[in-house]
Amino acid sequence: MNWLREVARRLRMLMHRHQFDAELEEEIRLHLELRQQEHLESGLTEGDARTVARRRFGNVTSLREESHIAWGWEWFEHLAQDIRYGLRVLRKNPGFTAVAVLTLALGIGANAAIFSVVNSVLLRNLPVRDSQQLVFLSNPDAQGMQQGFGDGDRDFLTYPEFQELSKNDQVFSGLAASASEGPKLSVRIENEGPGSEGVPAQISLVSGSYFSVLGVDPILGTGFASDVDTVRDASPVVVISYSFWQGRFGGDRTVLSRKIGIRGTSYDVIGVTPPQFSGETVGVSPDVWVPLSMQSEIYPGRDYLSLEPKPFHKIEWLQAIGRLKPGVDVARAKASTNVAFQQILQSQTGQMSVEDRRRFMNQHLAVVEGGRGASTLRGNFSKPLQILMAVVGLILLIACANVANILLARSAARQKELAVRVAMGAGALRLFRQVLTESILLATIGGAFGLLLAHWADAALLRVVSGGTSPIPLDVHLDSRILAFTLAVAVLTGILFGLAPAFRVARVDLSSVLKGTARSIASGGSQAGHVPVGKILVVAQVTLSLLLLVVAGLFIRSFQNLAAVQFGYDSDHLLLFRVSPVSYGYKGPEVVQLFKDMIERLDAIPGIRGASLMDNGLFGGGDSNSPIFVEGAKPKAAEESESRWDMVGPNFFSTTGIPILYGREIGSQDSGNGQRVGLLNQTAARYYFGDANPIGRRIMVKSTLAPSDFVVIGVVADSKHGSVREKPQRRFYIPFFNPIGDGDASSANVLVRTSGDPGTAVSAIRAAVKQTAANLPPVEIQTMNQRVSKSLATDRMITQLSGVFGALAMILVCIGLYGVMSYAVSGRTSEIGIRIALGAQRRRVLWLILRESLLLVLIGVAIGLPAIFGAGKWISSLLFGVKPADHTAVALATALMFVTGVLACYLPARRAMRVDPMVALRYE
Amino acid sequence: MHGYEIANSIQRISVDVLQVEEGSLYPALQRMLIKGWVIAKWGTTAGNRRARYYQLTVAGRKQLAVEMSQFERVIGAVTRVIEAV
Repeated sequence: MNWLREVARRLRMLMHRHQFDAELEEEIRLHLELRQQEHLESGLTEGDARTVARRRFGNVTSLREESHIAWGWEWFEHLAQDIRYGLRVLRKNPGFTAVAVLTLALGIGANAAIFSVVNSVLLRNLPVRDSQQLVFLSNPDAQGMQQGFGDGDRDFLTYPEFQELSKNDQVFSGLAASASEGPKLSVRIENEGPGSEGVPAQISLVSGSYFSVLGVDPILGTGFASDVDTVRDASPVVVISYSFWQGRFGGDRTVLSRKIGIRGTSYDVIGVTPPQFSGETVGVSPDVWVPLSMQSEIYPGRDYLSLEPKPFHKIEWLQAIGRLKPGVDVARAKASTNVAFQQILQSQTGQMSVEDRRRFMNQHLAVVEGGRGASTLRGNFSKPLQILMAVVGLILLIACANVANILLARSAARQKELAVRVAMGAGALRLFRQVLTESILLATIGGAFGLLLAHWADAALLRVVSGGTSPIPLDVHLDSRILAFTLAVAVLTGILFGLAPAFRVARVDLSSVLKGTARSIASGGSQAGHVPVGKILVVAQVTLSLLLLVVAGLFIRSFQNLAAVQFGYDSDHLLLFRVSPVSYGYKGPEVVQLFKDMIERLDAIPGIRGASLMDNGLFGGGDSNSPIFVEGAKPKAAEESESRWDMVGPNFFSTTGIPILYGREIGSQDSGNGQRVGLLNQTAARYYFGDANPIGRRIMVKSTLAPSDFVVIGVVADSKHGSVREKPQRRFYIPFFNPIGDGDASSANVLVRTSGDPGTAVSAIRAAVKQTAANLPPVEIQTMNQRVSKSLATDRMITQLSGVFGALAMILVCIGLYGVMSYAVSGRTSEIGIRIALGAQRRRVLWLILRESLLLVLIGVAIGLPAIFGAGKWISSLLFGVKPADHTAVALATALMFVTGVLACYLPARRAMRVDPMVALRYE
Repeated sequence: MHGYEIANSIQRISVDVLQVEEGSLYPALQRMLIKGWVIAKWGTTAGNRRARYYQLTVAGRKQLAVEMSQFERVIGAVTRVIEAV
């Protein structure tokens, strides 16, 4: 610890160096005066006495320097000197400074902006106590709810499983659960006075242990008591988020005595979470946390809490988060948890067949580190963000090359000044350091502006990422990591573009510069065999921006393909909305009647060509999947016989426009409990029947809901149900009003086909729904095209951004090439003048300049082409219908580079053509 | 003692054998300050002038002992070598 104290002493001295200098000065003065006094007393004259005293004392200046070096200040003082000097130089060249700072701000800003999204989506830990101790028993990358089961690693847990696992205190100091997906419900503040409206708020159902396990201490009130979720419906209490408290209560501290109403139940507000906490899921910011025991109040008519007697039927919906006991690692927690989990499964296998039992027992809990929280954003955006990070990195490199080129040109102009400094005794290393300090200074200023830019760009970026509607509540605020990243990037950038000029300075050829005979090194390469650095930089720029242009081209082509995909139905003039009558008090047959009435009313609206409904909806995220077997055919293995399916209402196919290839569609007569009918899509028909006619054949469905069957009445064309990218897959359709399983329908997606602009039908549809069921809340109606557009948000974002960055790269290269070419022309003025004087045609002069520029582009392109294939392969997982080495994209990018080459040398070439031989020669 | 006194006392005790450039005393004192071997306090001289007085610390005494034993070993070795000639 001795060295620590030493550093502290040095630092203290650094802070008070003026006082220190004064003290040293005083000490020396005292010494000299005392000595002089002594000599005076021994009889010397006053002048002699002073001289002798000084001689005995030695060189005061070097002594002062020595003492400074002893304290380790020399380094600091030189730095301060360099910075002062650097700032002065930058101030004296405002044009240069502005261009360089702007270029760097763009480059660094783009990096900081993308990085802050990367940081919040991929890197940042939850703002909770000791987040590294947290593990997920469920899958943090998944979001939603599952019914039925698939084997392998579990995405979510059921409530009884969570309760059972909570008893395992071997490895966890606590276990918390939270509904993976929460509803947005209208929340009303009670006693707020008349006319207070409910406002939609994000609800999150959590276990009583939630806040204590995560280690979140409310800034007001308390979190939930651990037993708050043990007794059903008995705990109407909520904890609200900081932003909800500020937004709805105006930060009122009496909030703890207030109540809020959700779906007719009033809840006591017992706590407010700290501002930085926004739940365990990144990209979802709950406003109100409600205990799990209140599930039936939040989801009326549903039961997600009971132990389901049929194990295949259970609802998996909880994210489970454990806090590891000190000294327990993830592997041990995983082993111990899975032992307990297997026991839970074992207890439910009562009446299963051997095959079912094998699959049922083959369920596991992955148990993974959970410090970063849950998020589906990670899975969706990790690759796009990596690509964008690489793209902006390349942009920065290109910008660096530009600034380096300007600096090189300037350092050539500054050679005289530097040579004078060398002549005055400045060491090469000292000059090197000084020039590098200037570059880093420039980069740091650029970085500061870049941060401002990033702050603004992030808001725009979030809007693009979220697909236009409401932005994903993602916290991209500046934190220490972003600051450190930006600083590191700025310093590295400064070193990168400063090195070449700094090396140049360190080997200034004194005599020739001072004599004025030296040719500047950045000039047009007049010395044979010496390739100027500026040109190498431009070639590198061409290579990099070719890469960016090709990537942009690939994404644009891919997006064109995505936009041109045929869905198998007409996505224009199609509206969708979801109704969930069970949540509003409707039961069993009432629900069915409500749907039938609603379709009837919708059909009656003028301008509506048809209405129908389906279970999972189109592009809504849900789908069903079950093994099916053709009666009388040799059964395939369960996995090979799986087929997607949906339950659809009467006239579904004529409403959507999915063509019926043969047979008939499901009509209103296919309701009730009679023989169930169904249709296959083309892929399924071919897979199960080959060329034979499937109509009239019976198909057994081994659904986890209940085994059932249907008779094929028709075959329809393939269509896209979930995403633009999905490949044709086997699918069958059965009647919505003669469903599989014993439960009645609880909710449905309603489809409406309009004849005109779908926007004009919205209010009529709302009115029809209101007439059918007055107590249903207003439905959220979307056009099919909106849903499709939203599903392509990520593709659109990366296409747009890569296009913008590709264009930016091109502009930067253009500027770089222009700089180098005009420098070359100005260096060759006399040569060109002689050529013209000797009779060279202006066209030849133009070609002379153009050739040089195009040669640089050609070399850059030649180097870049092989790299394109690597880059294409890297992004290929995001491309649709485009090969990584798409000829069109490559050819277009190459052509653009050559156009850039021509554009960049237009002005310099014109200048060269207009060289007046007399002026040029006289100058020489 | 302050700097001037130290310089004088070195000269006096060594009977003028050790006559260094007096200025170099100050950087040396500062190096010892950095290391924490001495501490400095401002006081007034007999002639009523402000002067910085240096004092050995415990760490300084320890270092002195180390240096002394080092020095004695070297001197001893040198002496033995010379005597052997």
